[in-house]
Amino acid sequence: MEIIDGFLKAVNGVFESSGFTSLQWQNYVMIGVSIILMYLAIRKQYEPLLLLPIAFGMLLVNLCPEIMAAQETHLMTAEECIAAKGSIEGYATTIIDGVTYYDVPTYGGLLYYLYQGVKLGIYPPLIFLGIGAMTDFGPLIANPKSFILGAAAQLGIFITFIGAIFLGFTDAQSGAISIIGGADGPTAIFVTSKLAPELLGSIAIAAYSYMALVPIIQPPIMKALTTKKERSVVMSQLRPVSKLEKIMFPVIVTIIIALLLPDAAPLVGMLMLGNLFKESGVVDRICKTAQNELMNIITIFLGVTVGATATGTNFLKPETLKIIALGLIAFCFGTAFGVLFGKIMYKLTGGKVNPLIGSAGVSAVPMAARVSQKVGQSENPSNYLLMHAMGPNVAGVIGSAVAAGVLLSVIPH
Amino acid sequence: MEDFMSKVTTSATMLLTGFTVVFSVLILLILIIFIYGTVITKAQQKSKESKEKKLKTKQVGSQIAAVQNTPSVSVTNALSSNEISGEIVAVISAAVDSMYGSNTKVRIKNIKKSGTRSAWANAGILDNTRPF
Repeated sequence: MEIIDGFLKAVNGVFESSGFTSLQWQNYVMIGVSIILMYLAIRKQYEPLLLLPIAFGMLLVNLCPEIMAAQETHLMTAEECIAAKGSIEGYATTIIDGVTYYDVPTYGGLLYYLYQGVKLGIYPPLIFLGIGAMTDFGPLIANPKSFILGAAAQLGIFITFIGAIFLGFTDAQSGAISIIGGADGPTAIFVTSKLAPELLGSIAIAAYSYMALVPIIQPPIMKALTTKKERSVVMSQLRPVSKLEKIMFPVIVTIIIALLLPDAAPLVGMLMLGNLFKESGVVDRICKTAQNELMNIITIFLGVTVGATATGTNFLKPETLKIIALGLIAFCFGTAFGVLFGKIMYKLTGGKVNPLIGSAGVSAVPMAARVSQKVGQSENPSNYLLMHAMGPNVAGVIGSAVAAGVLLSVIPH
Repeated sequence: MEDFMSKVTTSATMLLTGFTVVFSVLILLILIIFIYGTVITKAQQKSKESKEKKLKTKQVGSQIAAVQNTPSVSVTNALSSNEISGEIVAVISAAVDSMYGSNTKVRIKNIKKSGTRSAWANAGILDNTRPF
């Protein structure tokens, strides 16, 4: 009889500590959302490198919230400590009102520790290091005017800031939401982790979802704002860029941006360091590590931990819908401003610039440049805009980092 | 109303600041990249041109020498029987010419294959017999 009682008690204990009793309905909804995201990542291949770890992090945290639990210290009396830990040896003591308490630590969950890389702003600059090591700034150096398009596409960020303020978000939250318009995942995470960490899950998911939807969102805006004649413009070949110019570029950009906008220095500095590794040609091993192993490791940590911030109670709020709507507005405005400035350049150059390359200024490398190429080629099959669009595209990466620097320096945090 | 005005002020400030700073920084970068791009391209073009000029002068010099029919390095016909192709003789003659210059008249009487000596042995001999 005693054995059966013990068995039933143990089974009951296992059931009570299981997710079936501790989870709330929001967690189950989020499990469903995570499965949909996994489906989109695997089946539709929407940004799978990030969406898959994000979705799985979301799944894990909603099944087992303790995996993101922070470390704590409990004050226990000697009896409680012995009951819980079996001994009082090795614990620090605190005396309150003459009573001795033992400081018993409980350790945080796995993802809590990995999340410190996001919270402390470590992962996004490291991702930028890898991006820099993979990016060829040649088209931008060959045609520096592309910077104008990279700057124009950032205007969506500041327009969205206004929308967020009037929808009731605080200044810091509005800044974090508006950065979705930069279409740059690491930048969005970097800014949000500093300005509004409580919105990190929603903003990261919105940013990466819209980046994956670039080929669907951008073409209608590009076509609506341009004429057939403008879309058919064939641009002249870019001049060759010497190795010396490519080596000097990261150094010059770092000096200027770090001096003018120190808040953007971690992102731009790491981006340019990675690029210097690539262009110098003397640190091939380090360059390959930054491009592959380091980038992949950080992508896993960043994706899983960002996904793990999307707990049911955090994510299932009306604010999330507002964030998703504002993110879309930011993205559309960014694309529209890029194309409109492209049109201005078309007029000023007497029809030498195809305005379609302006939409690539929203960052989202290299997807946005590919969209410019595809839309241009649908008008004129012999038109190759890809290299021309890569200029504004990589300028957009620098532009969104500069915009992030502006948000971080203007908004108190 | 006060809240609305404060929101308008915040939004306008952010829009203006963002627009101005982002454009200013990127326009500054355009100027700097344009300037250093022009300077580097010009400098590289200049060095390329001077190299081409030197090469041309050298070519013209050798053409004049050929026209004057006074080769500084003459090769005896006996060499042709040594199973050494004409191209190799020409290369060796050119190397000798560049060593002694066009003012000295040099005659190559004989070119022999080094026989069965290994490359290392040849390198050792060359090292020990090279003039200081």
